[in-house]
Amino acid sequence: MSEMKKTAITLNVNNETHDIIAYPNKTLLEALRDDLRLTGTKESCGEGVCGSCTVLLDGAPVRSCLTLAVAVQGKKITTIEGLRVGEKLHPVQEAFVNHHAIQCGFCSPGMILTAYALLKENPTPTETEIRRAISGNICRCTGYAKIVEAIKSLAEEGK
Amino acid sequence: MRLPPFQFLEPTNVEEALSMMNARKETLKIMAGGTDLLNRMRFRLIEPAFVMNIGKLRDVDGIDIGENETVIGTNTKLKDIARSPLINNKFRAIAEAAFEAASPAVTNMATIGGNILQDTRCLYYNQSGMVLNGLERCHKRGGTICLAVKGGKRCFSVCQSDMAPALIAFDAKCVLQKKGSTRTVALTELFTGNGVTPFAIGADELLTKIIIPQPKNGVGSAYRKLRLRGSVDYPLASAAAFVSVTKDGEVNACRVVLGSAGASPRVIDGRSCETHLESIAQKAYDSAEGIDNLQMPGAYRRKMAGVLAKRAIKAAMDRLKEGM
Repeated sequence: MSEMKKTAITLNVNNETHDIIAYPNKTLLEALRDDLRLTGTKESCGEGVCGSCTVLLDGAPVRSCLTLAVAVQGKKITTIEGLRVGEKLHPVQEAFVNHHAIQCGFCSPGMILTAYALLKENPTPTETEIRRAISGNICRCTGYAKIVEAIKSLAEEGK
Repeated sequence: MRLPPFQFLEPTNVEEALSMMNARKETLKIMAGGTDLLNRMRFRLIEPAFVMNIGKLRDVDGIDIGENETVIGTNTKLKDIARSPLINNKFRAIAEAAFEAASPAVTNMATIGGNILQDTRCLYYNQSGMVLNGLERCHKRGGTICLAVKGGKRCFSVCQSDMAPALIAFDAKCVLQKKGSTRTVALTELFTGNGVTPFAIGADELLTKIIIPQPKNGVGSAYRKLRLRGSVDYPLASAAAFVSVTKDGEVNACRVVLGSAGASPRVIDGRSCETHLESIAQKAYDSAEGIDNLQMPGAYRRKMAGVLAKRAIKAAMDRLKEGM
């Protein structure tokens, strides 16, 4: 077994700089939840399939369970906690609430961040584009119809 | 599940990376996107002493489309390949393979080099320690038996790359660099066909570039894939087709490359007469290994190799007619 040393890791999360001391085998998901207490990011499958742990890395959705914290220093990380505008929910979050696109809520942080990234890049996606964008985010309550509706409502508004 | 311990290395240029690899050889594993490597480490299938992140090597990132060849850096993300208008226009099967490889959040991370060099998979190998502890050691785990094929004298684990079949269809080459030397080999030569050690690449060699020659005259290509869930799964069977025509519009090459049909991609090379779909489908069926070691029955996967070969050729021919 190799000798592993703790190292100082600087993460830019939701426009705030955080310094943690951790072993290099710590995933970004573990750093967010265990060190920064940002528990909005969820762990489900833990192997990159389900999308619960989705965060944005320089604006693009990635799996935080398949990302080493030490490897994303210098990048801009956005979690679900970083989406709200002051005390108000972000329009994407509001749309999910208004369209009852949340059942158990476990997939919602990843789903909302994925939708946010899609709308940022393409403000008026088609239903096919929406379904493709969220195809890696699995909802075990199978509430996809409402989720697609919520994202579509924003697409129509061009928000 | 936590990752095993390792020391982390992060070179900023290729030279530095090659020195690190030269000094550490087999004890070092390369992390490109990390989407495959970290899961293998999590399952304790590999426990490298050193993990070298090549994500910061900017000199091997990007697509360079030239007159005679197109060069794709090993670090290029699958998403960038899938979205490149030029790759879509000239090498459609390659763009389709990158698009089909995984869900968007994974293709945002995964790279072309990592996809080509991902280890083979098998239901009796890609499991957590808890499952593996209850199984006898197979060839891939240093044992002498195969759990997928009773009495199997070799490892039948399966190549899971989406990019390799599509690139091989276009006769792609790859550049392998090590400290002090560089060699360029056909992509097919990178695969050994042996499930235990599927790649003919030294522990100190880094795949830096993929070179795709510019096809002469008209070309049509397509990639088709079978998987359990449309967005997230590895291929259970796949086929990349490449059809080219002479100046007079006569088909002069028709190639199908099968993925998930064995430990390496299987090439079925043909000429104009073999654009006959049924004969290619039969050859694909004959060439594919139908082993019960992925999520669907081997016999079905083998049949689908033939079906996908047919569908890919058909799509490639249609595109050729449309002038794509």
